[in-house]
Amino acid sequence: MIAAAAATLLSHYRRHPGQLVMLLLGLWVASALWSGVQAINASARDSYDRSAALFDAGLDRIERRDGAPLTLDTYLALRQAGVAVSPLIEGELALAGGERVTLLGIEPLTLPAASGIQASGGPDALGDFLQPPWRTRLAADTLAALDTARHGERLLDRNRQPLPPLALDASVPPGTLVTDIGVAGALLGMPDDAISRLLIAPGDPAELPAPLVRLHAEQLADPGQLSDSFHLNLTALGLLALVVGLFIVHAALSLTLEQRLGMLRTLRALGVPGTTLVALLTAELLVLGVVGALLGIVSGVWLAGQLLPDVAASLAALYSEQVGSELALPWHYWLGGLAITLGGLFSAGATTLWRAARLDVLALGQRQRWRGGLQRQLAIMAVVGAGLWLLALGLWLWLSGQPPGERLLAGFALVAIGLLAATLWLPPLLGLLLGWAVRGLRQRPLVQWALADLQLQLPRLQLAMMALLLALATNLGVGSMVGGFRLTFLDWLDQRLVAEAYVRPPTEQFEASVAWLEARDEVIDLLPTRRADATLRAAGVAAQPVGVYGITPAPRLTQHWPLLHTEQGVLEAWQAFTEGAALINEQLAIATGLGPGDRLTLSSAEGPLETAIAAVYPDYGNPRGEVTLTTTALAERFAAPPGSLGIVLAEGSDVAALGQALDRAIDLAGASLIDQQAMKQQAQAIFERTFAITRALTVLTLAVAGLALFTSLLAQGGERRAQLAPLWALGVTRGRLAGVSLVQLSLAALATALLAIPLGIALTWGLVAVINVAAFGWRLPLHVFPSQLLLALGLALAVAWLAALIPLWRLWRSRPRELLMEFSAS
Amino acid sequence: MTRRLLLLTAALLALALVLRPSAVTESPQGFAGLGAEAEGYAEAGPGQPLRFPDDHGPHPDYRIEWWYLTANLADEQGQPLGIQWTLFRQALAPPDASPVEPTRPWHSRQLWMAHAAVSRGERHLVEERFARGLTLPDAEARRAQAGAVAEPFAAWLDDWRLNSRVVDPAGDTFEQLEVSASGEDAGQPFGYRLTLTAEGPLVLHGEAGFSQKSADGQGSYYYSQPFWRVEGEVELDGETHRVSGRGWLDREWSSQLLGPTQQGWDWFSLHLDDGHRLMAFRLRGGGRDGDDYLSGSWIAPDGSLTPLSGDDLALIPQQTSSAAGREVPTRWRLQLPGQGLDLAVTARHPERWMETAFAYWEGEVVAVDHDSGERQGEGYLEMTGY
Repeated sequence: MIAAAAATLLSHYRRHPGQLVMLLLGLWVASALWSGVQAINASARDSYDRSAALFDAGLDRIERRDGAPLTLDTYLALRQAGVAVSPLIEGELALAGGERVTLLGIEPLTLPAASGIQASGGPDALGDFLQPPWRTRLAADTLAALDTARHGERLLDRNRQPLPPLALDASVPPGTLVTDIGVAGALLGMPDDAISRLLIAPGDPAELPAPLVRLHAEQLADPGQLSDSFHLNLTALGLLALVVGLFIVHAALSLTLEQRLGMLRTLRALGVPGTTLVALLTAELLVLGVVGALLGIVSGVWLAGQLLPDVAASLAALYSEQVGSELALPWHYWLGGLAITLGGLFSAGATTLWRAARLDVLALGQRQRWRGGLQRQLAIMAVVGAGLWLLALGLWLWLSGQPPGERLLAGFALVAIGLLAATLWLPPLLGLLLGWAVRGLRQRPLVQWALADLQLQLPRLQLAMMALLLALATNLGVGSMVGGFRLTFLDWLDQRLVAEAYVRPPTEQFEASVAWLEARDEVIDLLPTRRADATLRAAGVAAQPVGVYGITPAPRLTQHWPLLHTEQGVLEAWQAFTEGAALINEQLAIATGLGPGDRLTLSSAEGPLETAIAAVYPDYGNPRGEVTLTTTALAERFAAPPGSLGIVLAEGSDVAALGQALDRAIDLAGASLIDQQAMKQQAQAIFERTFAITRALTVLTLAVAGLALFTSLLAQGGERRAQLAPLWALGVTRGRLAGVSLVQLSLAALATALLAIPLGIALTWGLVAVINVAAFGWRLPLHVFPSQLLLALGLALAVAWLAALIPLWRLWRSRPRELLMEFSAS
Repeated sequence: MTRRLLLLTAALLALALVLRPSAVTESPQGFAGLGAEAEGYAEAGPGQPLRFPDDHGPHPDYRIEWWYLTANLADEQGQPLGIQWTLFRQALAPPDASPVEPTRPWHSRQLWMAHAAVSRGERHLVEERFARGLTLPDAEARRAQAGAVAEPFAAWLDDWRLNSRVVDPAGDTFEQLEVSASGEDAGQPFGYRLTLTAEGPLVLHGEAGFSQKSADGQGSYYYSQPFWRVEGEVELDGETHRVSGRGWLDREWSSQLLGPTQQGWDWFSLHLDDGHRLMAFRLRGGGRDGDDYLSGSWIAPDGSLTPLSGDDLALIPQQTSSAAGREVPTRWRLQLPGQGLDLAVTARHPERWMETAFAYWEGEVVAVDHDSGERQGEGYLEMTGY
């Protein structure tokens, strides 16, 4: 009997294969979007993590206060004193093909575990790494870019001497080679006992002897947190994409059940128990879910690979490595994707199952009242939506009273509740708008009819319209966030990289480098920086450690360095800064409540320094509170060692030539001139890739919404004909009828899009101003791009028209006989 | 005492973060590759007399070597407490294997590893550290991050040191040592600073210092100082304990000391209350026809030594306990019929698993007479391959 019942239930799909396709399509698309976002997140994170090492390896640095070079002696003395430091050699290496790469020499036995560069490989790898002929570790993408410098299995340096044999290591940053410290110094032509710097784990509380100074990892410019914030938001949006996809599933499921209600009642009347029916429907859902989810995950990974050709390589490395190593990610990944899709499917199918379970056998033959109770349903939606809005408001009020950097979950809940509330309000709002319009257009019968008819279609269309609303809002949200994020990132680069070139000379060569550079004609200005640590004290603020950053307030820098709040004005603030006042970053201002005009005291080993705060500046991605003073003050009051040196050049200067001349004139111990343009381009390229993906994703989300709309329109095609037949009989042509339907749909889509605009802006605001502040303690500026708003309206119409294409074409092409038959049927 | 050498090799493997237990224990070179061929290295064999003080220092032409100190201590309230301080050396390549003569200080073919541990009741805190040997002029050997020199004696890695306290340049600098280490285990700091005074002579195991480790002849040079009187301070859980007790220092070096089929061992060092010392070990699978290989030394209070073979000695596991999820024998029966000894040796606490790069069990034991239950002494037990 079970088999017979199952065969009967499934026979529905034989008669309506389109519905099966639609169901699977919905599941497939939903799960593909979700998996695609996840896969992109994972791989993009990997490339960010690696590129973050361009700036720093995530460890604290130790240098000498007096600027004398670090040597093996310093290292050995510290180790024998029990300080767990690890030496590092870093320099630029020219290869035979003219390429320049960063060469890192590491000491793997003492390297703190927190370092980005790990000892890895098979059982013999460490021995090979430490012993002649040593190994050169590099990432596959670096190797691919260095083809001209190769001879067989080895890279050649510019003197065509072979480097140690190659060993691929995906954790090495792009454009970087890693060797043992024993061989790196020789390759870079450094003295036997030279060390570029000492590293120590950030949490290590070791006390350093007075001549040494510790530079905290967080002080070094690092876009790491900025990209974390981006991924957090991307994940939220990936979830949203899944929800949109599940709307289709819900629509398709409701349809298949509704059409099978008669069949279900018959089966019940024939004696099939209700539990058996529910079990059979559940099994059907499960099979559909697994097939759809697996299809979706596979295509999601494929999608990610297509969108990001070079990340596909690292994905492949990531996923094939499971064979040889302990990587458990793929299983979590597959199972996670499956679970998410199945969970979504069952939440979408729960109402369907519920109705099947409570099926009233006696109601046999009674027409399904799907139009009944519309007003009541709309009222309920409006009330629940209002309740949710109140909840969101309460949550927001509560959140704004919380310290920043906390309550991340609440932030997510706020955004989610807001979206849900807005979505619930959509049908009542549409109903209200239509109601007004119907009353206002009594003079135009056809238009009035069209609007009234649209009102009747609302129950069928509402889910699709809600999906469209979410998709549009997501599209707008992502667009604004990504655009804003991009602008912010570029600002951040501009703020931190204002000069044409940068160099970080070894401390003992610093003065000589400055003198040499100042003597050059093309050098307009030098912007030295320094860093130090201090304890901040201020009235009403608990004493806390802060980073102190020294900058040179030359016009080039002050033009690019944004200030958020000042006491009197930007010019006055920079004037005060030059005279000794401090700037503080936004993080510190939010955390302490300090602002322009307040006074603070910075205590360090060199004694306290008291000064006023001139302004607050944005400092995206920096987890630490930071006080900025002039470089001169850092040198004089904090005995900070010289840091990197910005070089402002006359227009049209040749950065490469200057770098070579500097290299010849001064022994930079491997630290060569960095071209700001090249560095910016490199950093931008990484971000642009991710932006391209998000754009593609939002397009896909819209496609999903279009699909939902299409499903709904297709499903009601038959019913619509019955309603349009009388109008046709009254003399309205089929073409006119199709046109009216198109206008109806366009109106609904347009109204939805207009509602999506404030929702999208609210979503962006929630992401940048609530979630980001909750997660990281700083706020991304909110950017709204008018062109995107117009685009959203256009897209909504395009989606609606595309979805309406087939149903309307069928209406237009329907033969008069079919329309006549509608009358005989009723 | 074949035991310790494997730690080094194994640590090397684990350091590479790819320690695969099955691959290690089932390798055809015996446990952790310690039965691997010693091609290119100096080989240990009988008939080569040990020379002091030179042999207190390192033997870089041999593949493996260690300085291994354990001490059974008690605080002022009489509560027992144990410490371990170990320095291992492993050569990464044979002396003449390198195509490049080491010239830069960072070049080295030696790898050093140290373990420090403090145990008391159920507390057992352990830390390990690694260092490369450096190529430095002989006169500057003491500057290295890790190393050992014979005269005046010192062995160290970072600030973990075992070195002589004798100031008289004409005296035997190995007579009085001090040892110190401080570390952290899962955020819990611990440390010790102890003085060691030799109250007896050095003892040479096996045939005048050559200790055979397998029925087919592999072995190591092996001598001990089992007569240390130990005093000093131990820091644990934020408290400083004044302690005193007895210590045992092992020195061993070799290039291939396991037979290819040996898979693990159980090793005892006991201070008996009547002044005797007992060293005994069992190599599982190292005897003829795959039997266990047993060996030991019976040391009189004056330092005279009687070698023990499998015929003179029985080591019988009697009860196992769970330590870090593994079943290890923590109660043993030691029988020395020739000495009229029948001991029950029990771990003070079963949780003495060393979660180091290569994990093993190392902890304090108490020896009582098997029949009467009367206390006979205390010592240390090490077990590997479980």
